[in-house]
Amino acid sequence: MMTFSGSFKRLLCAGLLAASLPATADVPTIRVGWTIPAEEAKYWMMRRPDAFPDLGKKYKIEWVQFQGTAPMVQAMLSGALDCSSQAPLSLGQGAAASDLKAYILAQHVGEKPGSFSVYWAVPEDSPIKSIADLKGKTVGVNVYGSGVHGGMAMLLKKNGIDPEKDIKLVETGFPGSEAALRGGRVDVGVFVQPFASRAEAKGGVRKLFALSDLMPNTVHVMEVCKKDWVDANVETAKLYTRDMTAAMKMALDNRDETIKVVSEVTRAPAAALEPYLLKANDFAHDPTMKPDFAAVQTMFDMYTELGMIKKPLKVDQFRRDDVVAPVK
Amino acid sequence: MKSALRKLGPAASTVLSLGALLVLWEILARLAQIDGFPPATEALVQVPLILGERESLASIGASLWRMFLGGALALCFAVPVGLAMGRNKRIAQALNPVLTAAYPIPKAALMPIIMLWFGVGDLSKVLVIFLGVSLPLIYHSFHGAHAVDEKLLWSAMAMGMKPVARLFKVVLPSALPDVLLGCRVGLAMALIVMISSEMIARQSGAGDLLFNALDMALYGDVYAMIVILAAIGFVLDWVFERVRRRLVHWAESRQDAMVPGGGV
Repeated sequence: MMTFSGSFKRLLCAGLLAASLPATADVPTIRVGWTIPAEEAKYWMMRRPDAFPDLGKKYKIEWVQFQGTAPMVQAMLSGALDCSSQAPLSLGQGAAASDLKAYILAQHVGEKPGSFSVYWAVPEDSPIKSIADLKGKTVGVNVYGSGVHGGMAMLLKKNGIDPEKDIKLVETGFPGSEAALRGGRVDVGVFVQPFASRAEAKGGVRKLFALSDLMPNTVHVMEVCKKDWVDANVETAKLYTRDMTAAMKMALDNRDETIKVVSEVTRAPAAALEPYLLKANDFAHDPTMKPDFAAVQTMFDMYTELGMIKKPLKVDQFRRDDVVAPVK
Repeated sequence: MKSALRKLGPAASTVLSLGALLVLWEILARLAQIDGFPPATEALVQVPLILGERESLASIGASLWRMFLGGALALCFAVPVGLAMGRNKRIAQALNPVLTAAYPIPKAALMPIIMLWFGVGDLSKVLVIFLGVSLPLIYHSFHGAHAVDEKLLWSAMAMGMKPVARLFKVVLPSALPDVLLGCRVGLAMALIVMISSEMIARQSGAGDLLFNALDMALYGDVYAMIVILAAIGFVLDWVFERVRRRLVHWAESRQDAMVPGGGV
């Protein structure tokens, strides 16, 4: 039978041994919010963590999936997240309305001349030929008050259509847009990948206008981290940005593997991703993930003019050069 | 027809009605030709594929675990509260307005607020399930306790039984049929809230599978997940109903006549 002093000594030895080992609890954990689609670099980090030597050893990530970017602003404000994917509008609204202080670390996807641009389409035989014909028509958007809605409102304004009074706006979401258009519930539907390539393959829809008609370099998804978290964890933030950039390079260099990764995350069959993912008809992916701060500023100004952001913002308040991609 | 069904028994009736539902679904979907409404055959093909993946099973298991935790906590909290309300006017008067105000609030709508207080992890989801299950449990326990035969309590008092002992030894057994009915309602609520709690923020879960499929317009998967959730609900209810009948076989509950397989 083991004596009390014997067991106490063993316990003490075990304690000392445990204390001498590197403490896994000391590895910082970043709480990261993500969403689908179009965050290929994050999907690589989630699904192929072994490809990133520092991930799991020098820092860890706790991934939480969200339905859209707006709830992630609230989660960051409440301290439930350190970093998240953000669109310029949700970041701007968080900063202007709730004083969210954050840094833009990287850009996941955007639009460049020649890349995919979010577009609105009509049935092939529709009498609507231009934006000017939209007066009195029913127009679909993904979400009321979204960045895509903002861009569309600005385009309509520039073409003499009052987005508040001249059209009937219907929130279809991106996934339901094609069905709404084909079912006649909207006269114009909004399309983004992978739904755009699916609708194009079926035929019978005609592109009417795109966000690229407004500005050629729209920013769609950025990686944003809370200012106080970054200021207190500069080295971890750098590691995170560096790994994310490496992940983007892996995603772009290994398209076949990226299709597998995206398919694992989204459960979309590879055949549905093949026609567009990381091709010319996909959003623009910069291998360096360098954020287009000038484009973000233009978008802030546009949203402020539309009244979607309550006060003017300067993009420099979201900038800290030592943590932004590409990290030296 | 009626007599034929009676001969076949309740199991055959269930199979027949489910079969009719599937046939109706198939016909309507083929007639409607809507992208977001696939035929039953297309959706059902996805069921074994989803259940064949270890990750999907782990996700569904994670949801059920949260549902079990939230339900168990609600049981521990709501039954004593309901019983106390049923036997003590002051407690009932104090709590009734709060419960009446809280009852119609969709519990999943509280998720964003709860998320702000308790983070985006399991705690928030378990808490929302707890809230969703607690209210029907409190109400049924309250009504059960309120309807306890006074003579039983007078006898217990005459024998010198203290109030807390009376609550658990007389009131609870008498109110058990109602409490268990509340549990049955709570079970359905737990399943509903379990899914909706995963709508905004999620790490794993059945809702994760469902809403991801919806985000990607994978409607076959969406309907397959709905079928899986319906099957989970059906099995849980079937098991619970058997347990309930064993526990309260002595009570001729009127609700017995309304449950599937209840003899009608």
